[in-house]
Amino acid sequence: MLIETDVLVIGAGPAGSSTAKHAALNGSDVIVIDKKSEIGAPKRCAEGVSKEGLKKLKIEPSNRWVIKELSGVRMIAPDGTSVWLNEEKVKLPEAGYILERKVFDKHMAMDAARAGAKIMVKTLAKGIRREDDHLVTTLETMGEEFEVKAKIVVGADGPESRMGRFLGLKTTLKPKNMESCAQFEMVNVKMEDPDSIEFYFGSVAPGGYAWIFPKGDDIANVGLGILTTETDKSAYDHLLEFVKNNPSTQNAQPVELNVGGDPVGGMLKELVTDNFMLVGDAASQVNPLTGGGIITAMEAGVYAGEVAAAAIKDGDYSAKKLSKYQERCEENIGVKFKRDLKVKDYLQSLSDEELNSIADAFHDIELDTINTAELIKQLIKVSPKALLKLGKLF
Amino acid sequence: MIIMKVNEWCMYCGECAGVCSRSLIEVRENSLKFDKKKCKECTICIQVCPVQALAKEE
Ligand SMILES: Cc1cc2nc3c(=O)[nH]c(=O)nc-3n(C[C@H](O)[C@H](O)[C@H](O)COP(=O)(O)OP(=O)(O)OC[C@H]3O[C@@H](n4cnc5c(N)ncnc54)[C@H](O)[C@@H]3O)c2cc1C
Ligand code: SF4
Ligand code: SF4
Repeated sequence: MLIETDVLVIGAGPAGSSTAKHAALNGSDVIVIDKKSEIGAPKRCAEGVSKEGLKKLKIEPSNRWVIKELSGVRMIAPDGTSVWLNEEKVKLPEAGYILERKVFDKHMAMDAARAGAKIMVKTLAKGIRREDDHLVTTLETMGEEFEVKAKIVVGADGPESRMGRFLGLKTTLKPKNMESCAQFEMVNVKMEDPDSIEFYFGSVAPGGYAWIFPKGDDIANVGLGILTTETDKSAYDHLLEFVKNNPSTQNAQPVELNVGGDPVGGMLKELVTDNFMLVGDAASQVNPLTGGGIITAMEAGVYAGEVAAAAIKDGDYSAKKLSKYQERCEENIGVKFKRDLKVKDYLQSLSDEELNSIADAFHDIELDTINTAELIKQLIKVSPKALLKLGKLF
Repeated sequence: MIIMKVNEWCMYCGECAGVCSRSLIEVRENSLKFDKKKCKECTICIQVCPVQALAKEE
């Protein structure tokens, strides 16, 4: 069996569905495939997004998938000192939402379908080869192999991405650029403020951080990401320890375990080659500081979809033509990531004692916004090391 | 010869596939396949697994 299409999107996560939707809206024939039998499940995510991000993408929040609205942030140092950023102390310009990813991802795929994309679930991409001026991808569904001939293929295949590599793009990640994550969704969680998300820094999560993201009532995602270059224990073992020691989770019980990789090394240098583009986690389009990648995956998906559709209209699928996508990503995503990467390196260089003293100093500071730049400015005031490493950037 | 062993508690999250520099790991929805012949035994895939589901078997 051979199917022909303009655009084949591999992976129906936020990146793939957004790409498929925007390519279809702009007139291309689009097929999007995913190996999963249920799009969005199991989740590899703590499910936090900014309201601002959704607004920028022109996606109306729906009570089908927004499960909780947040009003604050609590950052906790190793000795338990908290820095609160909430409405009492700070005028929050824009706080976030917690999603139900299993529902959200499906709805994003539905939007792609409504725009005209065809969706195939439980369909695995196994290989890809170049033939004349198009790409032939080998797929498998229910034990049956078939091929799709496409003018453009989009690799939106997540952190496990291999499609780009088959065409010579360097997408292999080093362990120091991939957070190893484990998370429980738990019930009976007793948070100090169930409307704030919590971040725990220091040796609870070497090379990363731990989090508690409330999902309403007494439910929360309790998880962490570590760099395996910084610890001999697995992410799961660190998680068990965190849950055992954290005051909020003393009576909490898990109803779900999630694991996965989060590529935090900054956006890949090469995102396109002839007939091919990488989008989302496959392109390391994850904020290296926060590990958040839902919004950027979807933003990049808009660019990829528009550029793919324009290329189809012009009959030119060369790397040169598709490099417009790379340019838009670098301009709108890459520049910010480069700065955040420096902040991450700084944070990772801090010992538990240094983190404690910073948290202590922050205690007395009045902040009036909640964005990263403002936080870093304050950080520079209290930490000489921050001035040294970050002073020029902010 | 060392062979990679996938333990039963693997969750098919794909993190190991992301770091294998030889692209030898194919993660399906409910199974994981290695191209064992080409493995250079760098053990990086074992290192990153969040649940230690991979192991070397002599
Ligand atoms: C523990 C954890 C917590 C996180 N928390 C947050 C958070 O709070 N906020 C946030 O913004 N981001 C968070 N992230 C990151 C976020 O989950 C990702 O950035 C986001 O899912 C990226 O979307 P994507 O579409 O690129 O990839 P994915 O959502 O991973 O989608 C890729 C899809 O491709 C499919 N696929 C892969 N290979 C193939 C193949 N060969 N054939 C067919 N289908 C294939 C997969 O099945 C999958 O559905 C977190 C990540 C982790 C691991
Ligand atoms: S990283 Fe571990 S849990 Fe994830 S797919 Fe690989 S072996 Fe399985
Ligand atoms: S040991 Fe190294 S080469 Fe072999 S599968 Fe694992 S990462 Fe790939």
